[in-house]
Amino acid sequence: MTDLERSIEMDALSLTYADGTQAVEDVTLSVPQGEFFGFLGPNGAGKTTTIKVLATLLEPTSGTVEVNGFDVVRDRTAVRASIGYMAQETSIDTELTARENLMFACDAYGVARDDRARRIADLLNLVDLADVADTPAGNFSGGMKKRLDAATALVHDPDLVFLDEPTTGLDPQARNRLWEYFRRINAGGTTVFLTTQYLEEADHLCDRLAVIRDGRIVADGAPDELKRRVGGDILELEVGGDRAESAGEPVDAAADIVRETAAVEPSATVETTDDAIRITARDAGDLGPDVLLALRDADVPVTGFDVTEPTLDDVFLAIAGDSADGLDETTETVDAAATEEASGVDAAATEETSGDTETGATEEDDNAVQGTEVEA
Amino acid sequence: MSVTETANTRLRDLRVNAERWTRKAVHNPTAFLVEIAVATLSLVLFSAVFGDVGGLALERAGFGDVAYVTYLLPAVLMQATMGSAFSSGMGLVRDLETGMFEKTVVTPMSATAVLAGKAAAELAQIVVQLLVVVGLAVAMGANIETGVIGVLGILAICLLVGLLFMAVSNVVGLLARDEEVINAATMLFMFPLLFLSPAFIPLSDDIELVATFNPITYGVEAVRALVLGEDVLTVVSVSWFGGVADTVVPAVGILLVLNGIVGAIAIRLLARASSASVA
Repeated sequence: MTDLERSIEMDALSLTYADGTQAVEDVTLSVPQGEFFGFLGPNGAGKTTTIKVLATLLEPTSGTVEVNGFDVVRDRTAVRASIGYMAQETSIDTELTARENLMFACDAYGVARDDRARRIADLLNLVDLADVADTPAGNFSGGMKKRLDAATALVHDPDLVFLDEPTTGLDPQARNRLWEYFRRINAGGTTVFLTTQYLEEADHLCDRLAVIRDGRIVADGAPDELKRRVGGDILELEVGGDRAESAGEPVDAAADIVRETAAVEPSATVETTDDAIRITARDAGDLGPDVLLALRDADVPVTGFDVTEPTLDDVFLAIAGDSADGLDETTETVDAAATEEASGVDAAATEETSGDTETGATEEDDNAVQGTEVEA
Repeated sequence: MSVTETANTRLRDLRVNAERWTRKAVHNPTAFLVEIAVATLSLVLFSAVFGDVGGLALERAGFGDVAYVTYLLPAVLMQATMGSAFSSGMGLVRDLETGMFEKTVVTPMSATAVLAGKAAAELAQIVVQLLVVVGLAVAMGANIETGVIGVLGILAICLLVGLLFMAVSNVVGLLARDEEVINAATMLFMFPLLFLSPAFIPLSDDIELVATFNPITYGVEAVRALVLGEDVLTVVSVSWFGGVADTVVPAVGILLVLNGIVGAIAIRLLARASSASVA
C-alpha cells in the first residue's frame, strides 16, 4: 500500500453523455485512505457514471479526478492497476470455475506466480466459496456469483475498491453475508467506495456518505447525521382496535398522551392516522416501553407496534422539505437543506401540520420520488 | 517501464487471454465438436451426392484426373474456417452482455493484447479442426500434391480467411450486440459465398463475374492450387510467378488487402467499445 492520505480527489467533475444527458454536474469529493465511503442515490442519479469515471471507464467532460494519486485520464493504466472494480451487473465468466475466474483475475492484474495459490485460497475462504472452487460459476446462485465477483476484484490487494450497488437483487441472507465481507475488506485497510440505493445499507457499512440526486451531491456526512436530519427512526403504534366508528378521536387523545410522556422529547414528531400514531425520533424504538406504559395507564388499547428505519425517500423528503413543491426543486434547496436550521424548520413544520393532511402529503411525495426514479 | 518489460507484459496479457478462451472451449466443447461434425458430414455427403456429377464437371473443366474428394477438400476447409470464425463475434457479444468485456477493460492489461489473445485461441481451434478435416479427406482418398509443406501453406491461407471472417463477425457483433444476429449472418454469408465460388464445382460462366468479387473464391483457389500443385486461378489470370504461385500470390494478396480493410473497421469499433469516452 502507498502512503497516500487520499484515495480519491475529485474536483468539480461534470459528465455529459454524447446524447446531451448531463449525468453528473459539478461533483466534488474527497475520500481518505481507509474510509468506507457510501454514495447514496436513486436509480439514474449519477452513481454509476461517477464510479465509471473513477474506474477509468468514462472520461470526464470537465473537472479533475485523481485516484490513488493518479489522474484518471493521463495515468489510466496506473489507476487501473491500483483499484478493484465490481460492476453493478455481476461480471464473471460463467463457463469457468470459481478458481479459474480468480486465476484469470490474478493473471490480468499480474499477481506474482508464487503468491497466487495462497491468494486464491484466502479469497475463496473470505467469500465462502472454497467448497465449490472447482464448480463452473454458471451453476452458482446469484449471491454466490456476486461473492465470486467481489473476490475477483480483490486478487491484487488493491488500495481502493469500487462496489457499484453490490447487493441489489440479492436476498437478505446473501446481502448480509456480502456486507460482512465488505467490512472485512475495509478492516484490512482497503478504502471502499460503495454505491447504493438503500440508506439502510449505507448506514450499516459506511463511515461517511454523500447523497446524489439528479447528478448533484445534495448532502453529505456520517450516516447518523443524515438520519438525524430525517428525524430518526419511526415508531408506529396501532391503537383503538376495531372501533372504526369512532376513528380519529381516540387516536388524537392517545397522541396527546404520547406527547406528554416524559421519554418523548419535544424534538420528536408525533403524527396520527385513522388508527395509528407515528412517532419520529432518534432511537424511536427505545421509547416503546415508556409510551406503551403511558397508554396502558390511560386505558388506550394498543393493537400493533412497529419500528422502522428511515428510507432514502425519507432523506430526500427531509432534504427537500422546506422547498414549496418539494422534490422538483431539490437542487436549488441543497445549500439550505445542508444546514441544521433547515432540518429544524422542516421538523417544526411537520409537527404543526395536522395528522391526516400530513400523512396524505407524505404519501404523495413518496410517489413523486418513485416516479422520478422510474423516469431517471 | 522499459521496452522489453512492456513487450513481456504484452505477451503475458496475450497468453493469459488465449488461455481463458481456450479453457472456455475445453469446458464447453460443443460448438467446436459440432463444427468438426458439420465438416465431416459435408465431406462425406458432398462426395456421395455430387461425386458423379462433380466428376463430369471436373472432366469438362480439365480436372479429369482429379478425384472429387480432392477437389472438394478446399471447399470443406473454407466452410469449417468460416463456421468457426463466425463464432468469434458471439464470444465478444457474450462478454459484452455479461460484463466480462468491461471487467477486462478495467484491468491494466493492454486492450490489443486482450483481443489478440482471444483471436489466437480462436485461430488455434480452427487449426485443430482443419487438421481433422485434412486427415479425414486423406483417409477418403484425397491427395495433397504439395505434401506437408503444402499443408502448412493451406493452413496459413485458411487462417487468413478465418481472420477476415472473425473480423466480419466482430463487426456484426459490435453493431448488433446480439448473438442471434451473428447466427443469422453466418448462414447469410456462408452459403452464398461458398456456392458463388468454385468451391464445389468449377465455375460456370454465369457466376464467374460474381465469383471475382467473392473473397472465398481466392481462399478456395489458393488452397486448391496447393492441393493439386498447379495454377488453378480462373477469375483473374496471372502468369508472372509460374505454377502454384500464380494462384497463391495474387489470392493471398487480395485476402491480405481485405483483412486490412475489414480488420481496421473491426479494430476501430472494438477500440470504441472499450474506450473510456463511450457509455
